[in-house]
Amino acid sequence: MEIKKTAIAGTLESSDIQLMISQADSGITIDLQSDVKKVFGDQIEAVITTTLKAMGVTAAKVKAVDKGALDCVIKARTIAAVQRAAETTDTPAWEVL
Amino acid sequence: MPIEQAVQTLNLNDPAVFKEWQEFLESLGITNFQANELQQIDTTLGIYNERGNLIATGSVAGNVLKYVGVCNKFSTQGSHFNSIVSALMNLLAQRGVFHLFVFTKVKYATSFQHVGFHELARTDLGVILETGDTDVSDYVHRVAQVAADRQLPPTGKVGAIVMNANPFTQGHRYLVEQAARENDLVYVFVVNDDVSLFTTAERLALVKAGTQDLANVVVVSGDQYMVSYVTFPAYFLPTQDDAIRYQTTLDARLFRDQIAAALHITTRYLGSEPFSRTTGIYNQVLQTELPPAVSVKVIDRQTSGDTVITATQVRRAIAADQLATVRDWVPATTYQFMQQNLKMLQARIQEGMNINGN
Repeated sequence: MEIKKTAIAGTLESSDIQLMISQADSGITIDLQSDVKKVFGDQIEAVITTTLKAMGVTAAKVKAVDKGALDCVIKARTIAAVQRAAETTDTPAWEVL
Repeated sequence: MPIEQAVQTLNLNDPAVFKEWQEFLESLGITNFQANELQQIDTTLGIYNERGNLIATGSVAGNVLKYVGVCNKFSTQGSHFNSIVSALMNLLAQRGVFHLFVFTKVKYATSFQHVGFHELARTDLGVILETGDTDVSDYVHRVAQVAADRQLPPTGKVGAIVMNANPFTQGHRYLVEQAARENDLVYVFVVNDDVSLFTTAERLALVKAGTQDLANVVVVSGDQYMVSYVTFPAYFLPTQDDAIRYQTTLDARLFRDQIAAALHITTRYLGSEPFSRTTGIYNQVLQTELPPAVSVKVIDRQTSGDTVITATQVRRAIAADQLATVRDWVPATTYQFMQQNLKMLQARIQEGMNINGN
């Protein structure tokens, strides 16, 4: 799936994660801000990367601000941000879930 | 735990709402409610507690967050702050704005960093931060790429000039020539805001056209990082001296630490400023803040006969329909543009475009 424009999903509330996805030439880069980055940073980035790959996104710039989100929340926010960024919200990719 | 209240839009045109909002911010030490600041606000959001008192608020002006204030007396540390910033960011996202800035007091800078903002510059009075889908490192990367595409050396003697060029005159040209002679590479940053008689696209095109013969000069947009509405609103709006000093200090430090450092700029060139008070203060501040990292060279304004060349005079000549009187003051490319577009420029002035400011 191709990222066509910048999109945002999620909030900065406790237990949520705010994800901003924008275009990139190649590869996936993640700029993660989290109070629990030391312990869970790799895990959070892995969930985002896995979800992106499952959706067929190969090039994207991700800015994530985590407020203690569980993996299922991270996954849901990533899917929502990608669908907005790829302009496919009318045809949601349910199978990714 | 009290019931969480939803974020709602505040109508500041309602005197009662405005009064409560202003009193709330004043209780938090935010005291600048001058008309020129308030006029820029597009939307204000707020959160009320169960007793109907305002406990958090924040506003947006273009892509700048303003008047963010939160009372943490009855909430988990930071939760209302996060709700407000989150709501403001989602609001801007709906408007297609993903790159945003905030000016804030030093003590709140950490709160913004906790929600993903990166610091651009700070003084004792305030900090400027940005967040979003692009940032200053993307910007300097793009600028460096322009020089690289022209096979110009990225290091060595690198000069920089920031100009509004409204429009590009022989005075500007003289400044660029001086810098071009003394450096291996010269970046000319053109102010990016569309609040001048000549639009950003026109000003950028005229600077490019007027410097095309200078092989080591690279003309780029200053984006939102140099003398922009974001960093330095006083350049465009009448402002008190202390506010000018504060804004120009932030602008100077942002240039020194984010722009000059990354682009290996060694000297910044300035035109001496006999007329504009704001630019005069700006020049003083640059001379205090930039060295020793970046040296500052002030070049005396070029004169035509006894008169100092200024873009203001050129704009007045347009308004007075006496273009011929300033023919020698501008490069042929600028003159030609003004001739061809005289009607359009005069119409803009008639529609109320101020030509006596910067």
